[in-house]
Amino acid sequence: MTDAYIMGAGQSDFGSFPDESYRSLFDDAFDEAVASVDGDFDTDSIDEAFLGTLGVGGRQLGLSGPAVTEHLGLHGIPTTRVENACAASGYALRQAVMAVRSGMADVALAGGYEVMTDMSGDHTKWWLGVSGETEWERLSGTTFAGVYAQMASAYMREYGATKEDISRVAVKNHANGAQNPHAQLGFECSLEDAMNAPDVAAPLNLYHCCPTTDGASAALVASEEVARELSDAPVRVAGAGAASGRVGLFQRESLTGIPASETAAQRAYDEAGIEPDDLDFAEVHDCFAIAELAAYEDLGLCDRGEAPRLLREGVTDPDGDLPVNTSGGLKSKGHPIGATGTGQAVEAFSQLRGDAHVQVDGANVGLTHNVGGSGGGVTVHVFERADGGAR
Amino acid sequence: MSSDRGIVATGAFVPRLRLDGDEIEAAWGTSAPVARAAVPAADEDALTMAVAAGRDAIASSRFEASAVDHLAIGTTTPPLEEEEFGPRALAALGLESDSTLATATQSTVAGADAVLSAARADGPALAVVADAPAGDPGEAGQRVGAGAAAFLFAADGAVVLTDAATRSRDAPGIRFRESGSETVDGLDITTYERETIRDLVAGAVDALDVPADAVAAVALHQPTADIPHRIAKALPYDAEAVTRGTLVDEVGDAGAATSALGLLAALDASDPSSHVVAGCFGSGASATALAFEVRDPIRTGLSAALDGGVDVPYAQALRERGTIGETEVAGGGAHVSLPSWQRSIPQRYRLEAGRCPDCGAVAFPPEGACPDCHERVTFESVSLPRSGEIVAATVIGQGGAPPEFVPQQRRDGPFGVAIVEASAAGDSARFPVQLTDCDLDEVSVGDRVEARFRRIYSVEGVTRYGLKFAPE
Repeated sequence: MTDAYIMGAGQSDFGSFPDESYRSLFDDAFDEAVASVDGDFDTDSIDEAFLGTLGVGGRQLGLSGPAVTEHLGLHGIPTTRVENACAASGYALRQAVMAVRSGMADVALAGGYEVMTDMSGDHTKWWLGVSGETEWERLSGTTFAGVYAQMASAYMREYGATKEDISRVAVKNHANGAQNPHAQLGFECSLEDAMNAPDVAAPLNLYHCCPTTDGASAALVASEEVARELSDAPVRVAGAGAASGRVGLFQRESLTGIPASETAAQRAYDEAGIEPDDLDFAEVHDCFAIAELAAYEDLGLCDRGEAPRLLREGVTDPDGDLPVNTSGGLKSKGHPIGATGTGQAVEAFSQLRGDAHVQVDGANVGLTHNVGGSGGGVTVHVFERADGGAR
Repeated sequence: MSSDRGIVATGAFVPRLRLDGDEIEAAWGTSAPVARAAVPAADEDALTMAVAAGRDAIASSRFEASAVDHLAIGTTTPPLEEEEFGPRALAALGLESDSTLATATQSTVAGADAVLSAARADGPALAVVADAPAGDPGEAGQRVGAGAAAFLFAADGAVVLTDAATRSRDAPGIRFRESGSETVDGLDITTYERETIRDLVAGAVDALDVPADAVAAVALHQPTADIPHRIAKALPYDAEAVTRGTLVDEVGDAGAATSALGLLAALDASDPSSHVVAGCFGSGASATALAFEVRDPIRTGLSAALDGGVDVPYAQALRERGTIGETEVAGGGAHVSLPSWQRSIPQRYRLEAGRCPDCGAVAFPPEGACPDCHERVTFESVSLPRSGEIVAATVIGQGGAPPEFVPQQRRDGPFGVAIVEASAAGDSARFPVQLTDCDLDEVSVGDRVEARFRRIYSVEGVTRYGLKFAPE
């Protein structure tokens, strides 16, 4: 079995782009990914593609994957559209890694795309929250923000966490996103702003919720042989963990964490042969501020109930011991559902090659954590510098 | 009809929201026709009120719901102009599917028809009178209310129906609703109306074989509080007896339910060995009078139903009723089909869960692999209690609701959604619920809540009903 490497990764701008389509956005991401390959890369050598999207709005609900690759001129290659809600492209990346590791592909394209902001208010309502548990959760009137707000209510009750604790996620991630030219909400916010925004679903307010976003992202996954040939500094996929969980929050044992995140992380750590302490940075799924707190604990970055302390002490700030969401996270960078997973890989790729917008000094090992829905499907990938040290 | 068959238990329901007559006066500059009116919230209708009152009656009796084998419903406001709603009430109340059903509608005399239907049935039979009429805000809308009363008939009744009489006359135009209209109308021909009502109601009551001097309370047709007294001028009953059976100034003109609730009030005010008389009227016109003998004291539950109301401003009353602000959300994405919903009715109405025969864990809904041991098992049916503890909660603010709930939110405002954990005898399960009948600022994790049968949402003209939860 060959190892799988990322030899190129890129993303479109994340934001609201009425003049773009899901295909034109993917063109941008693909072009940036191809341009990031150091050597002379012929895109005809791409053997297969795995593309994630939820399909918000309907659009090309069936066969949008082939529609994208044909549009790109990747004529005739097998393309699989992957749907696992917000973890769609985390899973697409996993598929590409599996294709390369198995030897069925030397180069596989992983990516994702979503257009969420071009619909009428009415249509938007029908397409948001479709990844929560539908028959009971949604039909009790619970929105997606509502599910995470329920988690927050239970978390705050259990651990005595405060609105201030949760708000620190927004402050940190906006500060990072302000450095990222691709970010949708690339501005800083104060703790006061973040605490006093209008409620969306109490205790979560506007600054505790990611925006709706148009965008695309792509990663080129290659065999060791191809990666060494075409890249000066390929990034090794050291661990690919994934897990499923019950789709509805009410169906799960824990209301304060995401069990599938815990399992996926453990699998990724085991495969990579590392401990959470070995990480130099992490991109975690902060669709709502409470999700970042839960992620710290699910990923083993701290004990249960300790996430507020990490934020308070700046441990996850860019200059802390374990910077988290240097890209701005979903909160500031944006969350184009199907594009988020490979979007996180773009940041990991940049960090490990030393050209991130908010660069972590001496970054050798990093993690991406992508959650579908409120925890029905999770991927965790561990990436490391193939050269084992700073370039 | 065995001679001791009679009312063994009663139930009452009045919506929590109330509109004070002062609000009508402030809005319209005229004196309000009723002192106070109950306002059906956006998630309430005649069916949900019928179920609430019916449950109250069954719970106050010695019977399990499954022992009741006849259900009679009287209402002028069935949720749809055509389609049976009795089967939904039957399912929500937990009656067996081979129970007989009778529905009386078409005028406010329907309540008496429903009571007679249950009184004349054989086994335990439940009559529910539930109504939520609507009117033009400048006319009948100023007095309309809502409510429901239920009467469970069986052997060894505490209150025995001793006689009934009916009178009718070709006299239209007093209270009617045209096809396609949701609002009751009337021609307001004062003398014609008063004489018709008085002649028919007093005529029917006068025909009853009842010892007039033993009658303690009288519940007469009461669209406003003065009408029963006008009728009683032709009868040998004093104003006090009439007042005891007059409730319209507390619930408003609740259509067929007003005199039924008045009957409950009359029963409350009557000692054993006294008699109670009811005189119902329906435009068109007919009147049905009922005579009861009170043999044993009976708890009606009426005062509990009247207590705890919350006054709302006039604009909110109009929103809740859907008089203003109605909307629907165009488009479509995720959609749960009607058969999918219907398949889960035992859970939606009665919280039927499943116990894993292997590990004992409780699954809700009881389908798929066991949530705990993950084995594919055939669950043993267990009913979860209808109350539990909130373990997670939030508030869905105005404008943030899923599309199915946008029309309700427009009418009723922000709503709470919670995960409730219900436990009994070692069994516990969690399920997501919408909260209702509560002040959202006063609900939080750890609070106890109980189930209420309500409208959940409507799509394509079909309303889905189920349980919401309210503070215990």
